[in-house]
Amino acid sequence: MYLQLEHIRKQYDGKVAVEDLSLAVPKGSMYGIIGPNGAGKTTTIRMIMNIVPPDSGRVLLDGQPVGDNFKDRVGYLPEERGLYKKMTLAEVIVYMAELKGVSAARAKSAIDPWLTRMDLKDYRDRKVEELSKGMQQKLQFITTLVHEPEIIILDELFSGLDPLNTELMKNVLLDLKRAGKTILFSTHVMEQAEKLCDHLCMISRGQKVLDGRLSEVKAQFGRNAVQIEIEGDGSFIKSIPGVASVTEFTNYLELRLGNGGNPSGILKAIVEKVSVRRFEIVEPSLYDIFIEVAKVDRSELSKPKEGLHA
Amino acid sequence: MRKIWLIAQREYAQVVKKKSFIIGILLTPAMMAVFMLLPAWLANRSSSDTLQLAVIDQGGQGIGRRFAMSLDTIKLADNVTHYYKVTQVFEFSNNDTSRFRFLYDSLSGAVSARTIRYFLVVKPMAERAPSDSMFLVANNEDFKSIGRFETSLSNIVSSARLTESSINLPVDSVLKLTERIDLARRDTTGQAVDPQVRLFASFIIVMIIYMMILTYGQTVMRSVIDEKSSRIMEVMVSSVTPFQLMAGKLFGLGAAAFTQLAVWIVLGLLMLGVSGALSLHIDPSIMRVVFNPILVIFFSLFLLGGYLLFSTLFAVIGSVVNSDKEAQNFLFPIVMVLILPVILGMSIMQDPNSVMATTLSFIPFFSPTMMVMRIAVIAPTMTGVGGMTGILGQAILSFALLVLAIIGMIWLSARIFRVGILMYGKRPTLPEIIKWVKY
Repeated sequence: MYLQLEHIRKQYDGKVAVEDLSLAVPKGSMYGIIGPNGAGKTTTIRMIMNIVPPDSGRVLLDGQPVGDNFKDRVGYLPEERGLYKKMTLAEVIVYMAELKGVSAARAKSAIDPWLTRMDLKDYRDRKVEELSKGMQQKLQFITTLVHEPEIIILDELFSGLDPLNTELMKNVLLDLKRAGKTILFSTHVMEQAEKLCDHLCMISRGQKVLDGRLSEVKAQFGRNAVQIEIEGDGSFIKSIPGVASVTEFTNYLELRLGNGGNPSGILKAIVEKVSVRRFEIVEPSLYDIFIEVAKVDRSELSKPKEGLHA
Repeated sequence: MRKIWLIAQREYAQVVKKKSFIIGILLTPAMMAVFMLLPAWLANRSSSDTLQLAVIDQGGQGIGRRFAMSLDTIKLADNVTHYYKVTQVFEFSNNDTSRFRFLYDSLSGAVSARTIRYFLVVKPMAERAPSDSMFLVANNEDFKSIGRFETSLSNIVSSARLTESSINLPVDSVLKLTERIDLARRDTTGQAVDPQVRLFASFIIVMIIYMMILTYGQTVMRSVIDEKSSRIMEVMVSSVTPFQLMAGKLFGLGAAAFTQLAVWIVLGLLMLGVSGALSLHIDPSIMRVVFNPILVIFFSLFLLGGYLLFSTLFAVIGSVVNSDKEAQNFLFPIVMVLILPVILGMSIMQDPNSVMATTLSFIPFFSPTMMVMRIAVIAPTMTGVGGMTGILGQAILSFALLVLAIIGMIWLSARIFRVGILMYGKRPTLPEIIKWVKY
């Protein structure tokens, strides 16, 4: 294991933010920390970054406790983002890279390739304050990666991004993963995590509820979910025997089957009342798994929104 | 160390590149030059012309004529031209009120029109009760001239009284007996000094320390507040430690402060050259205060130490508040501590070794201004080094205490700083801040 958290705990003013959390992030993985707002994701990441010291427990990298020497090996994008507004894009990129121990010459040679890739080349010598919010996000992303870190830590990576930029950054991250970098990110939007990560950890109220490889997690919960698209009122579906729960999405419904739930029997019961456009047996979504393992009320979670699909 | 250097470079560039820095660096000495050189220049110029005045003498004792004669002996800088010219002495009876009225009005008009500078009115019995029966009509207060007029009239009145009395002595010798003297001041090195000038020079030196510490301390504070409110802080502390960030800011902005001071010193020396070329008189007391080696050394040390101590404090304030406005509450006590020597200036001047002045000059937050003030007053009068109990020994001890305080302050503030910079919202209470120190 590469990056390890051992029983870390953090408490603020009597409120426990993170309780006895242990994680193992394998080298070269795309690791997602998933949980609703306030679950302790940011505190966990800040403890990994050594920005906030844990009350107890350790963070290890290659078996060694992380210290300030860790800072140069990591690229960190905090949830709260900001840049020096009065500096030009080129200046900001060089400055942030140099702070990570990169030589001035190497930092300068990285400016143009990155600006080109992020579609900001025309703004090279403009001041940061002249950029739109989306452009500033892209610049911030560059400054996180320009020093070629071996570990990349992204807190609420996609918050505030439009779909186009989300796609752009996702591609960059996938390239980095292919190049063998380890990527750790947190999000409260589970569908994004599902599309991106290969390992994950779910936390709720400061505690880990589940972790492991995405494929294993999904296998563990079996293929007991059904997605259907119907015409008409589907409110009767949840009373069909064998249907454990129904989640409404904008264009379709997702059913979780209980013990003894038989998909063909259920389909039959549905077509008797309404016409079905699509009926598909699928793996349960992370959202459904989370609801099940965290035993949280659905109202605690922000409902997944179709619009945020990356 | 490289990271501290990088941060310091950026902070330095951010300040020095600003227009306000360049304007401030040139405008302040320009204003000081105007305030210091202009009066000297004007004083020199105005005395190149003869001042004209008139006298109305209704006393009948010839006081007006004798006054005019006594002024004849006063010459301008060239030693030839008369300083004063009495255009006319109008002598007539006190009963001639209509003539008096007429002359009074026309001479007043002349004073207003500046064709003459003054006119003196002498009424009867002036030699008995001069304060009631003589007055000067003028639209300006030229202390030098008025002092001369008073001396001249005192002599005339005294000699008039002498001749009336039965004392049989030559008038001059009696006047000598009663002559008022001004005590000349010399310090123990045997040099003549002007106490007012020396106090002024000491004030200027202390004001420079005060301004530098306050201006650049606040710049440190703003820089921290800015990074907090623009949310750069968390990105920064993922690259550098909070201590590196704070140290980089202190060094970078400190370098900007010393750049400003260096420019001022160069401009000051240029000014000296210019004033020499214009043959303007600059009091030698100023030179002896400003160019005293002990003062120069300790001015630099205490300025540096004071800057470090106070800007560390300002950095902490910046880290615990959310806005400039919140920070203002903390400023007043700091300003008071810094300005104290200026408020106490007169009493320090009178007794620079008083218990209060001495005590305050050893307390780290007061010592940067207080000790330098005392050195400025005492050092120019020193004949020897004075051992460890002398001002030199005291200054060394006080500086050592300051260094200890700086180390303690940096330790304490680094602990508060690293927590404070990531806290938003409610301003922490003192007990909360104390808890941060223990984290």
